[in-house]
Amino acid sequence: MTTRAVEFSIFRYKPGHIDPPRFESFRIEAEEGMTVLEALERIRLTLDGSLIYRHSCHHSSCGTCACLVNGVERLACTTRVLELGTDTVRLEPLRGFERAGDLAVRMEVFFRDIEPGWSYLKPSESFAHVQADSGTELLRFEACIECGCCVSACPATRSHPDFMGPAALAATHNEISKNTPAADDLLRTAGNERGERWCERALACSRVCPTGVHPARHIADLRRELKTPLA
Amino acid sequence: MPELEHIVIIGGGGVGGALAHDLALRGFRVTLVEKGELLSGTSGRHHGLLHSGARYVLHDPDAARECRQESQILRRIAPQAVEPNGGLFVALDDRDLSFREAFLDRCRSAGIPAEPIPVSQALAMEPALNPALRAAVKVPDAVMDAWRLPMHFFATAQAHGAAIRNFTEVTALRVTGRTVAGVGVMDHRTKTTATIAADLVVNAAGPWAGRIGAMAGIRLPIQPGPGVMVAVQGRLTQRVINRLQPAGEGDIIVPQRGLSILGTTAWLADDPDTVTVPPGHVPRLFDLCRALVPAVGDRKPHAVWSASRPLLQSGGAADPYRMSRSFDCFDHGRRDGVEGLVTVIGGKATTMRAMAEKTADLICQKTGRKLPGRTRDTVLLPYRCFWRSISAAG
Repeated sequence: MTTRAVEFSIFRYKPGHIDPPRFESFRIEAEEGMTVLEALERIRLTLDGSLIYRHSCHHSSCGTCACLVNGVERLACTTRVLELGTDTVRLEPLRGFERAGDLAVRMEVFFRDIEPGWSYLKPSESFAHVQADSGTELLRFEACIECGCCVSACPATRSHPDFMGPAALAATHNEISKNTPAADDLLRTAGNERGERWCERALACSRVCPTGVHPARHIADLRRELKTPLA
Repeated sequence: MPELEHIVIIGGGGVGGALAHDLALRGFRVTLVEKGELLSGTSGRHHGLLHSGARYVLHDPDAARECRQESQILRRIAPQAVEPNGGLFVALDDRDLSFREAFLDRCRSAGIPAEPIPVSQALAMEPALNPALRAAVKVPDAVMDAWRLPMHFFATAQAHGAAIRNFTEVTALRVTGRTVAGVGVMDHRTKTTATIAADLVVNAAGPWAGRIGAMAGIRLPIQPGPGVMVAVQGRLTQRVINRLQPAGEGDIIVPQRGLSILGTTAWLADDPDTVTVPPGHVPRLFDLCRALVPAVGDRKPHAVWSASRPLLQSGGAADPYRMSRSFDCFDHGRRDGVEGLVTVIGGKATTMRAMAEKTADLICQKTGRKLPGRTRDTVLLPYRCFWRSISAAG
């Protein structure tokens, strides 16, 4: 099995203890297929038990382990170390979030404009010849795993912290598409002074999205719908 | 009303979250500590099956019945965290067919609706199934979001006043005489230590529970049972696909969003911190699952990971597939002469609420409080409330 020594340069921050933040280096042998998250686990278990980072499902379903890998927003759990092709892997927390410590961020700002009660289910892919059981609709979870990559990558979010941001706008558009009674109000919110007007069409959100949500497309759709006079 | 006892829960997995919710709802003061992120141990890493119980009917009828009841409750109290599409058990050969009658009988006696359907109907429902299948049975399996479903418990517990402290590791139990009176913790966010006083400490550390027990000189019947899972790109089926045989390796495919999860393998370990996947497990999962859904064979692994099941040792069983998935709680005052400490171990993600309820009942008994559990009928707050500082007080 191929292995290679890789140096991880990791952003360290512990309010009042490692403050201001600094980078620390850890060297481990990375095996073929090893993910950045597995590398973090090995560093924590064998080199520094105080290293903190968020993680849960290890297969790109929960959305907790997003961070900057060599400067780009990615999920640590599906990013393979050797495929990065760099001798040093630089890890930093997402941008635009309050820092909890080391690579962990607080998600409050992400959920600021996403209503807790918005449905997380949508109709599943339908195959034309597939019948759902006894008339009930097949459902699946939203593709958005609420990881924060798009918000971190968005240049408008950085210059205008009040901007709702790509994730909340995409979620708003999803909710509107479900034809809820609140659809008109939601569209007005998307068009308000914190809404889509700040989007710079940089498309960074869609580029970094690990689950193909394409927030930029949702924002473009919202723009189109806002141009149509509301009933 | 005078303030009730302060209960400290060690472990932010599904059971810890459900217990924090249960105790907060009964009126206790609750602090939960978790050494990493919430749900970063075992609970967040399972394949997502919300068990109908059918998977266990052939060898673990108690676990099957528990799963049936609990899956119905979880669908009711956290509907947004469940893909409610059902499941199929399919027979591919004579051996599988030989289990069919017993499987249907046992499902009936466990109260699990299991409906045999024609092969043609199974293929119409799930065109990706192996066209050579010999029989199919429809069961009420479902898929849960392994992160978002338990986060509903944490969100609701927090709204009822529970303090949820992640990245806070227990480094010692504070013992006065023969009574546990609190925990010593290290907050990894600030690298500061503290003592949290408690009227009662609950060890809900899952496969790590043995380490907490050892801090009080107690040996627990817990065995980490890691297993490997593989995610492939593509929602190959809409329903959970199980092989009609006693639960074993590579016999289940769970759709989840745009992924399909192939599960599982199992072995017994001494260390729950399993970070490597043994050689051979991934190809074996592909081979076995390809028999159920041939399209699996065209896919590459999108993610490969392992998680340690918290298996409850009983008798001398050494086969991780035959060790019971049932759970137990221990009153260490009665069992080991160490007061102030309760441990809950075993179980499954599907039964997290029931495990919490039974533990909370034991806590009420120990504190002399007559407070009935209400989690069965309390619809949980959506998980996103966890980050919205919503209070349910008043």
